[in-house]
Amino acid sequence: KKHVLQTVCALEAVVLRSFGPDGGQVLFIRDTAEAMLSRSGSRILTALRLEHPLARMVVECVWKHSTVTGDGSKTFVLLLASLLRMIHTTVCKDPTVSHTCNSRKAAEAALARRLADELLAFVLEDLDDLITVGVVPYGCCVSWEDFTAKTQSPVHTNNHHVQKLLASFFHTRLGYTHCDFISNLACELFASWKFKNDTPALSLQFVNDNFPALHTPVSGFPIDCSRLIEGQIIHRDFATPCPQTENQPVKAVIFTGYLESELLRAGEVLEVGCGEQVMEENSSMKQSIVQFSAWAERSLEWVIADLQSLGVSVLLFAVKQSPAVLALATQAEMCVVECISEDELSLFAQLSGSMPVSDFWMIQPEHVASLAFCRPVLLGAHRYVHVAFHDLEEKVMVKPCSLVICAPGEGQTDQYACAFRDAIRMLLTAWEPLGMTAHTASKRTCSNASPFQQRVLEPGCVIPAGGTFELLLHHTLRQHSRSRSVSDNTNMSLPAVSQLLAKALLCVPQRIYSYKHKTNPVQNCSTKECPLQDSKLSMHYCGQAHMSSNFFLIQYDLLFRQQFTNTFQSNDHTITHFCTMLPLKHR
Amino acid sequence: MARVVKKAPSVCTDLPLGNTDICTKLHLLRQLLRSCFGPTGRLKQIHNNIGGYVVTTSTSSVLLPAISSSQPFVNMLKTSILNHVSRFSDCGLFAAILCLTLIDQANRAALKRNVAIKVNKHLLGLCTSYLQREDCGCKVKLDFSSSQNMITLARSIISSKPACVLTEPETLHISKLTVQAFLLTIPCDMPGIVSLGKTVTVSVEGYSVLDSAVFPGLLLNITDTFCISKADHLHSTPLIVVVFSVSLAGDLSELGDGIIQVHQGADTDSQILNQLLEVGKQVVKDEVKLFVCQKVIHPVLQQYLKSNGIIVVERLGVTLMEPLIQLTGAQPVASLHTTIPAKAYGKVRDLSIRQFGSQTMLHLHSPGESVVCTMVLCHRNETMLSELKVVCQKTEHVLRLTLREPSALLGGGCTETHLAAYVRHESKNEVAQTASVLGCSQMEYLLGMEGFCRSLESVATALEHNGGNSLIDLTHAHHWTLPADVVKDQMADNFGLCGCGLVGSSPSKKWTYLNTQYTELSPALLPRDNVMQPCVLDSFAAKLNALQVAVETANLALDVTYIIQDVN
Repeated sequence: KKHVLQTVCALEAVVLRSFGPDGGQVLFIRDTAEAMLSRSGSRILTALRLEHPLARMVVECVWKHSTVTGDGSKTFVLLLASLLRMIHTTVCKDPTVSHTCNSRKAAEAALARRLADELLAFVLEDLDDLITVGVVPYGCCVSWEDFTAKTQSPVHTNNHHVQKLLASFFHTRLGYTHCDFISNLACELFASWKFKNDTPALSLQFVNDNFPALHTPVSGFPIDCSRLIEGQIIHRDFATPCPQTENQPVKAVIFTGYLESELLRAGEVLEVGCGEQVMEENSSMKQSIVQFSAWAERSLEWVIADLQSLGVSVLLFAVKQSPAVLALATQAEMCVVECISEDELSLFAQLSGSMPVSDFWMIQPEHVASLAFCRPVLLGAHRYVHVAFHDLEEKVMVKPCSLVICAPGEGQTDQYACAFRDAIRMLLTAWEPLGMTAHTASKRTCSNASPFQQRVLEPGCVIPAGGTFELLLHHTLRQHSRSRSVSDNTNMSLPAVSQLLAKALLCVPQRIYSYKHKTNPVQNCSTKECPLQDSKLSMHYCGQAHMSSNFFLIQYDLLFRQQFTNTFQSNDHTITHFCTMLPLKHR
Repeated sequence: MARVVKKAPSVCTDLPLGNTDICTKLHLLRQLLRSCFGPTGRLKQIHNNIGGYVVTTSTSSVLLPAISSSQPFVNMLKTSILNHVSRFSDCGLFAAILCLTLIDQANRAALKRNVAIKVNKHLLGLCTSYLQREDCGCKVKLDFSSSQNMITLARSIISSKPACVLTEPETLHISKLTVQAFLLTIPCDMPGIVSLGKTVTVSVEGYSVLDSAVFPGLLLNITDTFCISKADHLHSTPLIVVVFSVSLAGDLSELGDGIIQVHQGADTDSQILNQLLEVGKQVVKDEVKLFVCQKVIHPVLQQYLKSNGIIVVERLGVTLMEPLIQLTGAQPVASLHTTIPAKAYGKVRDLSIRQFGSQTMLHLHSPGESVVCTMVLCHRNETMLSELKVVCQKTEHVLRLTLREPSALLGGGCTETHLAAYVRHESKNEVAQTASVLGCSQMEYLLGMEGFCRSLESVATALEHNGGNSLIDLTHAHHWTLPADVVKDQMADNFGLCGCGLVGSSPSKKWTYLNTQYTELSPALLPRDNVMQPCVLDSFAAKLNALQVAVETANLALDVTYIIQDVN
């Protein structure tokens, strides 16, 4: 039992350094001597090379949790540690255990196991309703329209929720100094990628899917130089001298393969005779090697001429081309970009509405994309190709832009890119339709049977950050346990479990305010038996601690339930594991 | 067979800045970099245990990659600075010293991590907005109508690299050359987007630095002068040039993965050679006078071309292809089977032979206005020459940066002291508001501010290596140095000029030692009709970015609370 607790506490100690608004960065050096900076709990934990099987399992759970939600991994570990401590102390104090002296350890283990089972049952059954009743009323809803509204009227006071939500997210992920700047940038990015006729989730999903192609890391500049650039950046340089002309529109074609036909495929045999004699014998198979390659070159010229007749001036290739292609394209005044990654080509095809060419003998007008411009752009050490699409705003009502992330070092640009991706994921879960939520937690027995919850909890619900959620839930749990113990005295364990959970929850706000010594809302609440009105007061306290403006997400329904089911699965599992180990020791 | 090796657990360090080992290492690094800073900086010799040649340098871009540390913290700082240097080519040591001093000062003041970060960030904002203001006291507008300021800027960069071992006239000569080369690469009358040309550097060992020169056009290394010596008549009309980008050695081009079956009696080699000679015939018919190939040319073809009075240059290499194409206007030819189109030919106005030591060069002049030039750098030995080459390339880059932002900052430590004085003055006025905005106490804010200003000033003092003292004057807040054997009271007689040369000493001036408490002052602007010209200038863009990168890196370093090191 202690073993489990020790392991989780060790993990907690690692995570704690970067927890909360005052947390710091963790510098991680890979075995390849690459540096990685992070404040993301799941990245830090997965970076540790852990040996202990239990610790590995916990990390696995954290990782699974954060791939879905993009947030909350540090809280996960803190809560797990706190719960385990609570169970441990309860078990140690329990009078029934100390009486049975003969197998004290076995009894302890059994009691712990029983507590964990009950906790799990309680969480699965009652927690959702408790959250809906006790926490959700204090939250507020953020709608997707806030993004666009913000860009239209920046002074409108009501619409800063998304920006605040992002700011508080980036605060915990990147630190205080740049959170406002980066959250504004993120809002701008999302606003310009908003498809007018689609749901927010689809737009966000689009940005999420195409994020590798949509951002460019640039090292050597201060972070304030990060910006949005109109159009798309193709992360390759021109292979031929780049275009100097300013004529519009520029026509481009995407090729997925080689422009030059592969002359001899594997398995084919070229018979080479000696030039002149062969011609006399008029055998088409036996020509000189020179004639053969002349034929190959001519076929390439035909393709280029074909392209010229369509007015194409930019060729985008997925693979590297032969020098002959480059030279001929240069002579035809076309510019060539080679080795473009699949993601970027597919994004380009989507945005330009053109089809990639796979067979170069069949180039049709629908393969030709029309661009506003295509020019080189120098970002940091690299020169890239910058393209813009001119009629997109009317067609799909979207303003394509890409994100340039500047930072002094590569470790930091990585960190910022990761934070962006997690922010998208976090927003996606925040607006996830609730049907999905209920579906994810398939273990729940009463989810579909509770129309109450369906009515109240809307997607996009947020509550103030700074431990408010935990404090509110704490009170609700205590009230709940009190009312239960009054109403029926038959089942004593349920209030005990909810008390335990309530106490464990307090560790999160305690950690958040551990740096501030002035007012400690936790102490205030836990000493007094405060009703819900008082918890409003505690929110106020949080506000004094510079946090009220920051809104923290509460798609918490999903987050929290997952946290708990995971926690308890792991808890349960570990204890089972422990119990099976125990007899072995005693043998 | 693959062996399964058990992975070692990671090494963790909690609160790295509290760790004495790390602090010692950072201190050591700071001492090392400080000793290299400025024109009188001490040189460092880099060599490794297993031989290899010795590098003598004081440049951050050469020095920093050579410092390999097991300490991740040092490596993190190193990459930040190197990234800055690769973008801006200047002010690397400035950034590194400032960053390390900021960390040290924050550590020494025992400020809370978050407070130090917030204060640094705030003061950085103060500095950058001041530097970008029109009336900034340490900024000089660059005037492109006279080359004076540009030569000064180039000279400041070149003279701050003592490993080049240049005398005063040599420094001036090289500065003038770099400015000349820079001006040659700017196209004069091109509408639309201006694209800059290229400077090709050729290094020649064993000659005096004063023999270095810049030539418009391109110099190509050639092996034999035999065919050109009789070609004196080539000066008259524009000469036709053809440039091949494929190999003309007679090898088979890549055909694919299939099998080639050669029949008895078929001689592929001679068939291909015949084809090459066909190309040769066409070239001769089209009256080409210069035949250049990026790769190898078959000796028979070479012989054929030479016998027809064509100058042949082979194995040009890919780096010279771009300037050559730019100069001649030729399009590289890659096909052997089609006739070369007329527009693929380029033109050269003039051909001549230039001899530099053992190297014979073919000098190509552009037919029209040229944006390609060649810089021949000479120096006494290899080490100095390689350093000089690096320095000239950096200088050219810095000069190019001025095109985007035509201003420069005062050098010689004057910008640093001036900024420090400005920051002290500005922040003293509004301590209360700023402290409440940043969420710290006024005391903490003042401590953080003091650390920031001290760090800036300490960069200025790092310029002095001969035991002299650094001072600041109390009117313009410029930086002055005093030789070791002179005391402060005799100052008026001993000082000539301040660090940047813009302010002269006068009996009415007051000075104080740097790193002592001095009464806060608002740095006075220099009068508009100041006759003095600055003699040391720093690149504005590079220094501004260096300042930002240094503070951000210091903040990042202060923010790291845990290090996990995978030691596998």
